[in-house]
Amino acid sequence: MTTLVSQFIAQEELTQTVLDEESKREIRRALLHAVCIPGYQVPFGSREMPVARGWGSGGLQITLAVIGENDTVKVIDQGDDEGVNAVNLRRLVTSSTGCEETTEVCEATVIQSRHRIPEDVLTDEHILVLQVPVPEPLRGIERDMRELSRMHAESDYSRMWVSLYEDKVRNGVITQTTGYPCLVNERYVIATTPIPRWDIPRLHNAEFLTLFGAGREKRVYAIPPHTIVEPLTFEDIPFEIEQNEGTQCRLCGSNTSFLVQSPSQEDNWACSDTAWCRARRTQ
Amino acid sequence: MGYAAARGGLNAINSAEYLLRTLRDFDPSELISLDQLTGRLRLLVDRTMGEAGLWAPQLTALAIRQSEGDITEAVHLLRSYKSTLPRLATAIPVHTDEMKLLRRVVPAFREPGGPQILGRSTDYSARMLDVKELSIANSSVRQDSNKVSTSQRPQVTRLMNTLRDMNLLVDRRNDADPEPFDITRMPARPPAPRSARLSTMARAETGALVNQWYRNILGPDGYLHEVTLGEVRHGELPIRVVHPHTGGAVTIGHFRISEVEAIEDLNGIDEDRTKFDVGIGICFGHNERKAIAMANLDIACHRDNGKTSLEQSILMTTDGLDSAGFLEHLKLPHYVTFRSMMERKIAMRKLADVDHSIKGKQ
Repeated sequence: MTTLVSQFIAQEELTQTVLDEESKREIRRALLHAVCIPGYQVPFGSREMPVARGWGSGGLQITLAVIGENDTVKVIDQGDDEGVNAVNLRRLVTSSTGCEETTEVCEATVIQSRHRIPEDVLTDEHILVLQVPVPEPLRGIERDMRELSRMHAESDYSRMWVSLYEDKVRNGVITQTTGYPCLVNERYVIATTPIPRWDIPRLHNAEFLTLFGAGREKRVYAIPPHTIVEPLTFEDIPFEIEQNEGTQCRLCGSNTSFLVQSPSQEDNWACSDTAWCRARRTQ
Repeated sequence: MGYAAARGGLNAINSAEYLLRTLRDFDPSELISLDQLTGRLRLLVDRTMGEAGLWAPQLTALAIRQSEGDITEAVHLLRSYKSTLPRLATAIPVHTDEMKLLRRVVPAFREPGGPQILGRSTDYSARMLDVKELSIANSSVRQDSNKVSTSQRPQVTRLMNTLRDMNLLVDRRNDADPEPFDITRMPARPPAPRSARLSTMARAETGALVNQWYRNILGPDGYLHEVTLGEVRHGELPIRVVHPHTGGAVTIGHFRISEVEAIEDLNGIDEDRTKFDVGIGICFGHNERKAIAMANLDIACHRDNGKTSLEQSILMTTDGLDSAGFLEHLKLPHYVTFRSMMERKIAMRKLADVDHSIKGKQ
């Protein structure tokens, strides 16, 4: 028994399988469904991955399902190719599919990301895979899943509007930070993962395909190219991206990119997209 | 560069892995054999198999050893290993009446149909730490000349059937025989068929299920009726598949389960008060705690019939990998979201300062 098992395991190690081919097909079917109904959360039989749920298991399953050995993958976490979780996911993708890896957007065909869209222009050559921790945009206003599915089915987003109105009245600004709710194709409200509001306008009428994977909650959804994506806001209250006044990247001097803070530094801003920042410095 | 300290990269990961492996693999103590784990930490292996939803004692022992005894981690290893394997066959349903009993307790009757078998249980052993064991040499194997008979196949009538014969049981049987909901292939969300709830609970984290039960006893958000247990069983069942050439059923192995019948005293105004109803709990291995919680939650959820969010709690919050994974993801970098939060705080404060200065001038 023990030898049988160990032989089997040895064979497994040679192929480095993470997800069997039938499962990949099943995920591709769910993705086609998602592309056909932009913004609709498609249930799928999320598998257990070698990374924990909540750590990009949904994004990883999508990437593994759509990638081929002729593809080139870029993986970022918080905009950073060298973030530990990005490195970990990237080595799983490359070792189990044999595809190439890159940190350059122009070389990549599949970009898996947690919390950011790269600053570089993405084209119809790119598939953007976003890791989603909580796919349900209405969770804050309704907890019962039966009611949530009714609200989506009937496009009943009235309480969402009310909550945004109350937010504005109480706080002077709409305080929603990342993952800003957007109406996709004038039909479904989606959670835009937690990408910053800075990145939201990039989703509107995009050239590229965006696939959202929520492994723990077992949902995928999509924004196909050239789809209307509107952040929920009021006619007289414009949508606000993160304010950047008086800041610039201490490394490349940019004030036109999304910057993150490092409180220990005096001049404490730096580009969140590290590959973009590096390219600016070497130009 | 200060900023780089928060970044890791491949070197950091490799170093962490090196530390993990070397400190584990080169611990000065003797390596635990897989047989020791299955033999001496039987209940740990059973519980892990149940939560993994995979009957594989050797692989489970390996997973427990690799994960240094972290059950959630071991369950993760087993489940993601399962993700790499194609599904070759589906087992033929087996009736639990076929069970070779290792233990059977019927708390509802002193003399039920068939024997009460206490079997291997800590239920009535005094919970006293046996400090004399401290002096026993690690490697000594103690021989017991008295052979213990551990399994029996007596004539047994399950309590559910006894009650049915006495016309005391609500009859929920029907001719429909739908395929069970496969939670590994489709996500179960409320409202879901009973098979989805049962398989979710069978794979649930033991502690989560016990907590789900207890919070409905004493917690603020539910009222769960305490049941009388009909059957509490532990025993062995065959696993059979269709032979690919002959088309006949063939037994390819055996597995153990815990099975519990929870008898419910129906007392709702819209219920048949002259009858009992029954909930079922079944999980891999010897894990009575889990099977009892499952059986009681099964009948509670049936009676609740969607009135509260009990079903959502069962389906969505009891999986150990879901909850642990999401909890631990908080350790991941959140630079982007945190930056965005700070930006909104500052925007709100700016606005408040402006309001304040306007009021001050008035």
